[in-house]
Amino acid sequence: MNVIETKDVSYQYPDGTSALENVNFRAPKGKIVALLGPNGAGKSTLFLHFNGILQPSAGKILVDDQPLSYDKKALMRIRQKVGIVFQNPDDQLFAPTVLEDVAFGPFNMGLNQDEVEKRVKEALTRVGMEGYEKKPPHHLSGGQKKRVAIAGILAMRPEIMVLDEPTSGLDPKGASQILRILYQLNQEGMSIVISTHDVDLVPLYASQVYIISDGRIIKEGNPPEVFGDVKTIRGANLRLPRIAHLMEILQKEDDLPFEKPYPLTIGEARKKILEQLED
Amino acid sequence: MVLMFENTLDTYAHSNGLKDTNTYFKALFAISTMLVSLISTSPLLPLFITFLMLFLVIFKAEIPWRFYLKFLLIPFIFGFLTFIFMAIFFGIGVSILKLGIFNLSVTTDGFNLGFLVFARIMGGFSCLAFLALTTPMPELFSVLERLKIPNIVLELSMLIYRYIFVFLYEAFNMYHSQETRLGYVNLKNTYKSMGMLASNLFIRTWVKGEQAYISMESRGYDGSLKTLNVQENIKAKNLILLISFEVLLLFGTYLTGNFKLI
Repeated sequence: MNVIETKDVSYQYPDGTSALENVNFRAPKGKIVALLGPNGAGKSTLFLHFNGILQPSAGKILVDDQPLSYDKKALMRIRQKVGIVFQNPDDQLFAPTVLEDVAFGPFNMGLNQDEVEKRVKEALTRVGMEGYEKKPPHHLSGGQKKRVAIAGILAMRPEIMVLDEPTSGLDPKGASQILRILYQLNQEGMSIVISTHDVDLVPLYASQVYIISDGRIIKEGNPPEVFGDVKTIRGANLRLPRIAHLMEILQKEDDLPFEKPYPLTIGEARKKILEQLED
Repeated sequence: MVLMFENTLDTYAHSNGLKDTNTYFKALFAISTMLVSLISTSPLLPLFITFLMLFLVIFKAEIPWRFYLKFLLIPFIFGFLTFIFMAIFFGIGVSILKLGIFNLSVTTDGFNLGFLVFARIMGGFSCLAFLALTTPMPELFSVLERLKIPNIVLELSMLIYRYIFVFLYEAFNMYHSQETRLGYVNLKNTYKSMGMLASNLFIRTWVKGEQAYISMESRGYDGSLKTLNVQENIKAKNLILLISFEVLLLFGTYLTGNFKLI
């Protein structure tokens, strides 16, 4: 079952330039899907369709197999189900304190104060930001702000979380903290969609990969399938994961027997190298 | 980003010795003391209040004295100028100092009035400084909410408070990048760079506002902000202490009401 599905979605900006063309995207329940694409390919635009902020010029959006309707009540329900974490946490954190920011979503859902407090506490603990309730966002580091932004969505208990470049601009530790949180959430059944251009991380967590370029999905499949198509990857201004690139060079330049499909993660590469050494 | 704001009022407000003291208590204390300072007809009480606040801010709230004295310099300069002008231009009666030009002279009346105004400025400012340095802005919002300030004003100030720092950060970054490219080496460049910075900041404000709205809409924003504020009420004992202190101060203004410096 797909939590989110788009059917031939096209979108034109008011000035007529086309941002998305016939996009067919599916996010299966309980999986992590990565949307890979260079800057300006239409990732963020596509995401804003998922919760009805933007309406497609043509095509359909399905959430839980139900076509999206755009009346106020339906949108409210959709926005609770589909939580979007924006790329720049400063755009998302608007309240004077962490506490009030995380409470914003649950309050809008019409929950009572006790329930809101409970959810805020739970969400902040989830992302390891308990104890920061009274801090204003500008006293937090980039990684902390990102985690608070995630908590703000978690507190609404969405079915699916959509994250726009969740690791961009973070230091390695901050980035791995975010990924660990997402991985744990996924283990507990949360469906997740991530947009990124960090190709090294994609094979680690994604079970399904889409490549978007100039508003079109140009490749989809599991990581080995997608990264096996080196030409398409490079054509979309992306690259292979470093480890796969190394294997490619070793095969082509040094005639070492590393055949396609190239290993995409350190774990796979290790296995392959050990196999070769044994032979 | 954290480093850049190390010495702002906001940082001190969030990390001072009195930050956990009841917000209502601090607000009520600062405002009522300020009122007493303003109605006092002798300069003694306001000056006493100035020193009291100085003591509280430096020793209780543990704000670095250098920072606080620098902060006090602003009202001091303003108050001192006021004092001089009032001493010269106000009041009638016996002159105690002839200036020798334009037939100007300082009168007892003017001197006393000027000094009273100076003292009130210092006293009143100290009270507000105490509040600003010990109470984080977000906590003050809850006081305002309790005072039934209209929601629209409250919501606006909350958003403004948050985004002041976002744009301050942006402005700093732009300023540094202009400086890097010699944007401020002479007066002409300075004017030009400043202008560009201002217009650029305006456009960014616009874009950021739109993005903030989209992200709020994504979390079900329906046009009103509900706040989650849990502030404890002032304990009865503290309230009584506070009231007795203010009554004592009022009594002080009564006793010293006729005091004149000269």
